[in-house]
Amino acid sequence: MDVLDQLGAVREGKMSRRAFTRSLMAAGVGMATVPLGAKALRAAEGDQATYFTWGGYDIPEFFAEYREKHGGENPDFAIFGASEEALTKIRGGFVVDVSHPCNQSVPRWAASGLFQPVDRSRLTHGADIIPELIDLQGNDAEGGGNWMIPFDWGQSSITYRTDLFELEGEESWDMLWDKRYEGRLGSLGAGADAWWVGAIKAGVPFDQLDTDEAFEKIGAVMREQRPLIRMYTDDTTTLEQALASGELVAALTWNSSAVELQNEGVPVKFAQPKEGALTWVCGLMIHKDAPNLEAAYDVIDSLLSVETGKFLVGDYGYGHSNAKTYDEFDEETLTGLGLSKDPTEILSAGHFQIPQTQEWESKMNATFEQIKAGF
Amino acid sequence: MSDSPAQISEAVERPEPKPASRGGFSGLLQRSEVARGYTLISPTLLFLTLGIVIPFIILVTMSLWTAQGFGFDMTPTTANYEAAWNQPLYGALLGRSLWISGWATVATVVLSYPMAYYVAFHVHRNKMLWIVLMTLPFWTSYLLRVFAWKVVLGYEGVINSALMSAGLIRAPLEFLLYSPNAVVITLAHAWAAFAILPLYVSLEKIDRSLLEAATDLGDGPVARFFRVTFPLSLPGVIAASLLIFIPTTGDYITPALLGGPDGLMIGNLIQLQFGPVNNWPMGATLAIILMLCIAAIAGIFMVTTKIVKDRIL
Repeated sequence: MDVLDQLGAVREGKMSRRAFTRSLMAAGVGMATVPLGAKALRAAEGDQATYFTWGGYDIPEFFAEYREKHGGENPDFAIFGASEEALTKIRGGFVVDVSHPCNQSVPRWAASGLFQPVDRSRLTHGADIIPELIDLQGNDAEGGGNWMIPFDWGQSSITYRTDLFELEGEESWDMLWDKRYEGRLGSLGAGADAWWVGAIKAGVPFDQLDTDEAFEKIGAVMREQRPLIRMYTDDTTTLEQALASGELVAALTWNSSAVELQNEGVPVKFAQPKEGALTWVCGLMIHKDAPNLEAAYDVIDSLLSVETGKFLVGDYGYGHSNAKTYDEFDEETLTGLGLSKDPTEILSAGHFQIPQTQEWESKMNATFEQIKAGF
Repeated sequence: MSDSPAQISEAVERPEPKPASRGGFSGLLQRSEVARGYTLISPTLLFLTLGIVIPFIILVTMSLWTAQGFGFDMTPTTANYEAAWNQPLYGALLGRSLWISGWATVATVVLSYPMAYYVAFHVHRNKMLWIVLMTLPFWTSYLLRVFAWKVVLGYEGVINSALMSAGLIRAPLEFLLYSPNAVVITLAHAWAAFAILPLYVSLEKIDRSLLEAATDLGDGPVARFFRVTFPLSLPGVIAASLLIFIPTTGDYITPALLGGPDGLMIGNLIQLQFGPVNNWPMGATLAIILMLCIAAIAGIFMVTTKIVKDRIL
């Protein structure tokens, strides 16, 4: 009985209910078993490591070296929008091989007891890592090894439309508090960026964040900004599209948004605020029960490779942790991207994030979410 | 409909032919009517226990704990409920959620009623095809439909581009997207199928001779609709309203994508408690409060409609 015949039978009212149910069931069983077949096939080609990362890092360009070792397959990807969300998922029992936090969360992530130190000597590119990037507060594990292997570093700053935003004086964080552009400013939604920017704006030094006074001051600044903001989002694409269409004239973003928009020909600039940008280093941590430990090391090695670094610097505008990557670029290109062969220069020129306690992180997020909701 | 329970009990009471000598466990089961009943529903019962009752108990227990760093302080306390009562944030977001989904429910039912009515009374051939066509948009993913509305309502979206090229506005309308309006519009479209189907079923069931009788007794089309058709379709209206109101109040993805800072709903707040805010007990408390609110509103709604129905019938 073919499909056309069945349709005809239904139209003429000739098909019995039983026959109809039977064909529906056949279709259902067929549909349900198709994915099973595909999955069985994939598993036969060898299990891939799961890489839990920010949206935008789940691209094949980063994994040429990995594919060579794993029969042309990329790792499996899982995506998060904010690192705190990632930690909550992992704590809830989501087992991944490699995940991608940033320096200020490393001690808290390590304290959760869900990660194992990474043995740098097992990495092919381990020796090429810029020493200042791995030598971070709280990054040395007690029994040797490092909790996090640095991968990318960069800034959180303002991407603004040079044609729509009328700059008054120097570039400054005041641009995101500019009442002239009410409803046309955007912000990253996670407190891990926005709250720290609030601290810079309020003039609170990062080593004094954990005081009631600091919470009050920064909270006041964020409340002042809130009515001006059209959208808080963890999705950088949304911010980029809004900047491209002119819906937003300025937004708090990372380096990549500005570079990608410039590559598209949108007249934007990544500001160097006079108070200093917010700077950070992100990297890779391995889960303590990583099911594919070998492959996990391959993921890290692939991310550290010069080939990946070339893409990361050239197309995304982030700094790379492999010192050899910079030999591929001339000084002029690097300066144009706001980078340098010496990351310490850039990182210390801005406000470098420093680790905080879990209590602080939860309190900060609760306060910031309350402010975002209008209270 | 009203006589069916009686029929069932009659059928059950009828003496059954004795089963051919079956010993042991199944014999025991056959003997007691209650045991037989439980055996029949046991798969469902097991599923309900595993899937609903146990998580619900966990939720209630957790709502009595307090968050402490990575862990919980398990001493039972009602502090979370007090906080939910005292802090204006929770009440305001709950109120906004009920408000938004209330409007979404009204909009969906009002818009779906004429469609269901048309198919029930004016389509005589291929009714099924019409129903399928009306529910066709719902064959795509919910997320895609929400995104589609983002494209329609967006700054350079369909509506704004059309209005601008027609010369009606000079700058794009900004209130369309990232506002509670956007959430109401999207919900009203996204849940239409859940209104059309129950409305269609209840309209289809109406005895046509009642309508003829009304006409014979001198009612015009409008009076006939309000005195006969509408009251008889009320069960469908009630079902559709509840089907839409209950799930949309706790909706998460639509306000997250289209709501903007002023369009956040309680579902987003609950997600935040389990995510970045890292206060699972508070999240559990909010989930329970939301459930109680919905139950209360649904209860009031059903009682009111019953009273109204008894009046007009």
